[in-house]
Amino acid sequence: MSDRILILDDDEQLAYAYKEHFSALGYRVDCAQELEEAQTLLAHFPYSVAITDLRLNKLGFGGLELVKHIREMSLRTRIIVLTGYGWPELKSEALSQQVDAFVRKPTPLADLVHLIGQLTGGAQA
Amino acid sequence: MKKSLLTTLAEPGHLQPRFQPIFRLNGRVNQVHSIEALVRGPLGTNFERADILFDYVRRKHAEPLVDRVCLSNICGAAVGLPSNFRLNVNVHASTLGQNPEFAAFFQKETAKHGLALHRFTVEIVEHSPTRNIPAMLHNIAALRESGVRIALDDVGLGQSNYRMMLDCHPDYFKLDAYFVQGLCVDPKRRAVVESVATLADALGSSVIAEGAESLGDLGALEQLGVELVQANVLCPALPAQELLATGLLQSGLVEFDTALLASGVSGQPKGNKKSNGKHSQPQQEAKEAAGKVLTLSAAQTM
Repeated sequence: MSDRILILDDDEQLAYAYKEHFSALGYRVDCAQELEEAQTLLAHFPYSVAITDLRLNKLGFGGLELVKHIREMSLRTRIIVLTGYGWPELKSEALSQQVDAFVRKPTPLADLVHLIGQLTGGAQA
Repeated sequence: MKKSLLTTLAEPGHLQPRFQPIFRLNGRVNQVHSIEALVRGPLGTNFERADILFDYVRRKHAEPLVDRVCLSNICGAAVGLPSNFRLNVNVHASTLGQNPEFAAFFQKETAKHGLALHRFTVEIVEHSPTRNIPAMLHNIAALRESGVRIALDDVGLGQSNYRMMLDCHPDYFKLDAYFVQGLCVDPKRRAVVESVATLADALGSSVIAEGAESLGDLGALEQLGVELVQANVLCPALPAQELLATGLLQSGLVEFDTALLASGVSGQPKGNKKSNGKHSQPQQEAKEAAGKVLTLSAAQTM
């Protein structure tokens, strides 16, 4: 069974570009644009990896809220924070929430794929 | 910017009504008692599944909005169903508690589609404690006064508790599938179902059992005096046109007794058995779909 990935980003175009790319590699990918949507999906499907932006202004909450939620629900889901903001205190807070990787935007897709492969224990899906 | 999922759900065409018959078990010839209207989310998405859809709706605290949209869609789709069958629709207790005008909306919406109020049963769904009980009871009283019957959904689970039984005076208890599946081989489940049936009887209510998966469970329900059943093995939830195409609603009577099921023969609408080859393709497909489900139930008992 292929690994399942959840992408939470309020940049719809970016999220769907990721979805298309990861799906082509064999991953099952779901996108969410708001916290409740992501929480619902997390409650019903086992995700190997969750990729979230940290500052989701259009949605009115921070990605850290989702990180906390994921950690409450599952220790098995690997979390990648993908953000355009590299403030040390933000990174420090994210890592304190047991985030598995903190990645600055923009990042090459190939690097992200490699990271997902590392976190899921395989080169690719 | 993409619309939120909630905004999408509120627009026409994204919520899909489905209709599932509730049968009255009566030996060999059984009867369609009523039809529950169910709703699925946008086709092809994770939210097509009702449990996921309404989990999201509850997380958004949007039950009043979505219940209204569901009712509108259901009424629109139910217009083509025979008027001699009752229609059950789900409404959250929180909607009844938060929206004092819901009963008036219900009356207006059904009238808009020419559907008589006395055909309806409102199934009260309660996933969290109702905060405004007076408002809920006001809505229930107004609905009941206009001829609507009341059912308590998911009895035995969650918030469908004894207080709700007393406060709402339900005409029906919808017994959750959790207690029904495996009933025939589990004395503890049998004890629970028996106690619910006794309680319902004492309160002047009827029990509708959901989710039976085998002939054994159906038999056990009948033994315990539970006559009303709703189960995918008898007929799954279908779009209105597909349900009509099964022929189950034409006479209202259907044969699916133990002997028929055990032999792998599907449920047959009474009086429609000699219409071989006269169904349209969709009718035949829907009938075959129902037949497969019924055949499966027979296989599960082996």
